[in-house]
Amino acid sequence: MSEFSEVLRYREVLWNLVRRNLKVRYKNSVLGFAWSLLNPLLQIGVWWFLFKVILPGRGEANFMAILVTGFLPWLFFSQTVLDSTACVTQEMALIKKAYFPRTILPLSVLLSNLIHLGFAFIVMIGLFIFWRVDVNIHYLLVIPSTLLLVIFAYGLSTMLAAWSAFYADVKFIVSNLLGLWFFLVPILYPLYTALGADRPAGNWLETLIHHSLSTIKHLYLLDPVTIVIVGYRSALLHGGQPIVVTITDNMTKLEQQDALIKQAVLRAEYPMLPYVIGAVIISLAAAIIGHWIYQRKAGQFAEQG
Amino acid sequence: MSATVSVIEVRDVWKKYRRPHQEVNSLKEGLVAFLRGQSGYEEFWALKGVSFSVEPGEAIGVVGPNGSGKSTLLGLMARVLKQTSGAIKVEGRVCPLLELGTGFHVELTGRENVYLNASLLGLGNRETSRRYPDIVDFAELGDVMGAPVKTYSTGMVIRLGFSIAVHLDPDVLLIDEVLSVGDEHFQRKSFQRLLDFKRAGKTIFVVSHNLDAVKQFCERSIWLDRGWVIKDTDSEEVVAKYRAAVETWERSLEEARARDARPS
Repeated sequence: MSEFSEVLRYREVLWNLVRRNLKVRYKNSVLGFAWSLLNPLLQIGVWWFLFKVILPGRGEANFMAILVTGFLPWLFFSQTVLDSTACVTQEMALIKKAYFPRTILPLSVLLSNLIHLGFAFIVMIGLFIFWRVDVNIHYLLVIPSTLLLVIFAYGLSTMLAAWSAFYADVKFIVSNLLGLWFFLVPILYPLYTALGADRPAGNWLETLIHHSLSTIKHLYLLDPVTIVIVGYRSALLHGGQPIVVTITDNMTKLEQQDALIKQAVLRAEYPMLPYVIGAVIISLAAAIIGHWIYQRKAGQFAEQG
Repeated sequence: MSATVSVIEVRDVWKKYRRPHQEVNSLKEGLVAFLRGQSGYEEFWALKGVSFSVEPGEAIGVVGPNGSGKSTLLGLMARVLKQTSGAIKVEGRVCPLLELGTGFHVELTGRENVYLNASLLGLGNRETSRRYPDIVDFAELGDVMGAPVKTYSTGMVIRLGFSIAVHLDPDVLLIDEVLSVGDEHFQRKSFQRLLDFKRAGKTIFVVSHNLDAVKQFCERSIWLDRGWVIKDTDSEEVVAKYRAAVETWERSLEEARARDARPS
């Protein structure tokens, strides 16, 4: 019996666990489920405060919109990966009590966070209307990007869920790595800032970075999370067009020149398609390997703690 | 009948556990142990070549001292654990293990736990809704089903677990040491319920140290000791032999103690 048909047979368990996850997260809070709308809103508020009050003077007119479109998929991804490191140990009572396909545990984490992403998306559209950002049919183009992220997140989640059942360290390592990863994807800055960056040689570390800069940029673009964020920005802010830079007549000469450089960087040196294909392959590989590791370890879960 | 249909078929099942020498809970400890060339584990067999088959409508007691493999056996039949070798075939729906202290999500209400447990048995939420009033009624928890399970007393938790188990219509019921919990009234009620269950052709496994209850309820018993099946026959005989063995063992302990106490 394949794991997939087993999950289908036990879909009621999956659904009950998802509902449970959604309820328990805001248990004992006065506002309850409203927090799933408030949380992303408040986080965006923190950044508004940082970039509009403390560090003002960002060039982009819709800088906040750029930030939010990158933050949404990241929030889903990081929360899913983090939750997965607790999903086995938290459900020990259930695991020791009855048989069910164990894949349901990381799947329930994935699904409940997907529902939270849906709520965050509603918050975002509300903000966009308030900010007078054009809301249009191209928004549906976030679906393939989201799918890619789901596949990648599934791979990491299953892997980490399996290991975290045996080693408590996994959780702490992951939460710190996610803090680093946040800066390794274009959320707080636009993509071309990272790709256009140059590093002069200096001390040994700077020299190393200087010499491997093009490799680093390739790797940077192969990160499925980066690709998904680029996809989100393209769908939400650029009507699905891959070009992220527009040149208009009312730009100053200097701005036009700057934009031309950005365009060249994005178009000629880093055509997106190969990286998208690469990210898809990486995500699928992660999903297959993660699933395999999880299946191998799942039989021993009930013998732990 | 030449061949009876067996609902449970356990054939030459062995189960090995790895028990850590010292607590290894972090990568660092694991790494240190690995570098020192220690496996960090001692292996032991919890079940050694256990075989038996069960026909529908049988109630089977499992007796034996602590650490003899009783709970492991139930865990394997519930498919919670995996055997190291051998084959286990269980036909029909197996109820979640009924044991002390676990199985409920303490943050959730009694009601939510009923639905979660029922879905583990393959029951849809609609079907559970239909049986829900009976479950609450039997557990006598009408007014607290909306409260989180963490606010329940031990007796209430057991009552709820038991009620869920007998109302979800499983084919196999696995009971680990919860036969004699709850007050006198509930004990009687649940005992009656289990008898109905047996009459309906369902299979029941009872792990218990309450030998009188085992004798009263199960016609057949399996006596386990350190993973071996010592005896598998009718309960009267098994319980009598097991009691005799315990007495002999206790006597030999006393004699040894008396020997040691003698001044040399």
